[in-house]
Amino acid sequence: MQQQPILVLFLALAGITTIVFTYIFVSSKKAAQSEKGMSNPLKKRFWFSLILFVILSIFTTATLPDSPYYLFADETPAKVVHVAARQFTFFLSEKAIDPASPTGEDIELPADELVEFRVTSLDVNHGFAIYNNSNRLITQVQAMPGYVNRLRYKFKEPGQYDILCLEYCGMAHQAMRASFTVK
Amino acid sequence: MESIKLRKITSVWVITVLILFIVSITLGILMRLNQGEVISQSPVTFYSNLTTHGLTMIGIWFVAGMAAVNYLMQRYIKTSYAANVIALVFTVIGVLMLWTATFIGKFHAAWTFLYPLPFKEMGAATWATLLFLASLTVLGIGWLIWSISLMTQILKKYSIAQAFAWQHFKKNPKVETPPFILISMITLIGVIACLFAAVVLLVLFYAEYFSKGNFVNDALLMKNLTYFFGHTIANEMLYLGLAVIYELFSEVSGRPKWKTTWYVALAWNFTLIFVLTAFFHHLYMDFVQPEGLQIIGQLASYLASLPAAGVTVFSVFIAVYRTKIKWSLTNLLFFIGIAGWVIGGLGAVIDSTISNNIVLHNTLWVPAHFHTYNAMGNVLFSLGFFYWFSTQFSENSKVSKFTTLTLTLLLIGGIGFLLAFYFGGADSIPRRYSIYPSDFPMAAPMATIGATFATIYLIAILIFFFNIYKRCLKILFSPS
Repeated sequence: MQQQPILVLFLALAGITTIVFTYIFVSSKKAAQSEKGMSNPLKKRFWFSLILFVILSIFTTATLPDSPYYLFADETPAKVVHVAARQFTFFLSEKAIDPASPTGEDIELPADELVEFRVTSLDVNHGFAIYNNSNRLITQVQAMPGYVNRLRYKFKEPGQYDILCLEYCGMAHQAMRASFTVK
Repeated sequence: MESIKLRKITSVWVITVLILFIVSITLGILMRLNQGEVISQSPVTFYSNLTTHGLTMIGIWFVAGMAAVNYLMQRYIKTSYAANVIALVFTVIGVLMLWTATFIGKFHAAWTFLYPLPFKEMGAATWATLLFLASLTVLGIGWLIWSISLMTQILKKYSIAQAFAWQHFKKNPKVETPPFILISMITLIGVIACLFAAVVLLVLFYAEYFSKGNFVNDALLMKNLTYFFGHTIANEMLYLGLAVIYELFSEVSGRPKWKTTWYVALAWNFTLIFVLTAFFHHLYMDFVQPEGLQIIGQLASYLASLPAAGVTVFSVFIAVYRTKIKWSLTNLLFFIGIAGWVIGGLGAVIDSTISNNIVLHNTLWVPAHFHTYNAMGNVLFSLGFFYWFSTQFSENSKVSKFTTLTLTLLLIGGIGFLLAFYFGGADSIPRRYSIYPSDFPMAAPMATIGATFATIYLIAILIFFFNIYKRCLKILFSPS
């Protein structure tokens, strides 16, 4: 899963930062009155900024193509699921949902095929977050009144997937959920 | 006379901010204890506390930065005492209105109050929404008057080009713009821009409220306005803190004053652009938002770290590395605060990567990173100023005995409370849940651990408060 490497990367960077700040602080505490501090600070500043710029550019180039807007953009979904969120429930249906009298049905999706969720809201902003059966967040999109967000995904593992609301929507936000099956 | 009045009102700001901070931390601890199932609050109580906690925290650390900048600006230009008083009065009234709406009216739409949630709340009093919107209006007017007044005073002494330090792009500039003035100017423009966005947002809310259904807003536009306002003000309050550090770090360390150079000018001019466009990263998960804006969101968020790290953080490194300086609670708080700001920034840059955001957005990773650069960053910048300010007019120098204890507790409490958030975020635990579903067995124990460490942080703040409040009261009640 993607979250563990992210946490490890963060903890490593936070650790390095802490070591650098501690080292610099200790160097000041140990410094003699006559010490002149950093030599060639402008040159070092330049290299520090340039290296940071290069690292950020590499990360940008590497990560932007993986943005959800581009994933599966050229493929045709095998299945379309309509989703309407309303305080504090989700309606999922393979047919278009009537906002005046929304109804949902049990959803079964194929594994390894492209699925498109067309997600909207009938009242306030909600989140449509899909968790796998290890309770890991695997993908998400917002449900916004007046708009339809299209989320595309290929489920690899069969099983039950849970949907949790991840945009705060009021007093029963924490209880707003649904599920579907992948076979 | 003017400076004594300014001294007194600044001490009122310091005491007010610290008292409101203690109350707000307590609300935060109660929320974590509820999530840990140690205490039991109703969801409406939890979410109204969440609303109070978020908005009060943003408000107090914004005014803390403004009060510090206003106080130090007097060194360069004459500032308006009246604007400062108006801001104080409006802030106190605004906070009281906000607390009435949340504590009594049970308004609970969170600090984001995303349209149209304030109109579709269940379990809140009918009058609470209007009072909430009115409270933001009062706060906004007070802060706008203050910001515009400070900017106007800068422009009375410096031309626009000088206030932006553009003359520093040439060799041997005739006029030097102090870094403090440059950063204040850049920050005030951002503050004024986001407060104007708040005005538009509030007008649209009022228009729908009073039209009784004849006028309906666009949810995407309202979300963009909300985050332009919310993200920008939360960022700008950090920059107010940095202006204070540029002014005071070298001074309290007994080192030569920092000067504006071409790269300092360039960095801060670019910062203005990045800070005004980074807010798009809040809308990554709204796929209907134009893609170009999503990309700008990631680029601006990444690029904002360049001037911050290459200029500000590196300047602190240069000032400290192998240099004998006078360490006190003030510059230690600044130094640790810069480290907290960097670490929180790393968490933020990771989250601002669109392909990461899809698995981190609205999980506990979000409160993890913003609490890092606030509770262990910006707050320490302001505490550093508060401490320095309180010791300016005091003959009693027996104040250092609490330094080690305060910092140790701050670090232990802060790091422990933040790690509980980061691990929760990596474990996909949602933010803003009053209680956690059984799918997340580690969520409740981690919340309790977070609350325990946050209590240690609170103890550090209480020690700090009792260390300085008497000196602040002495300044307030000293004969003018």
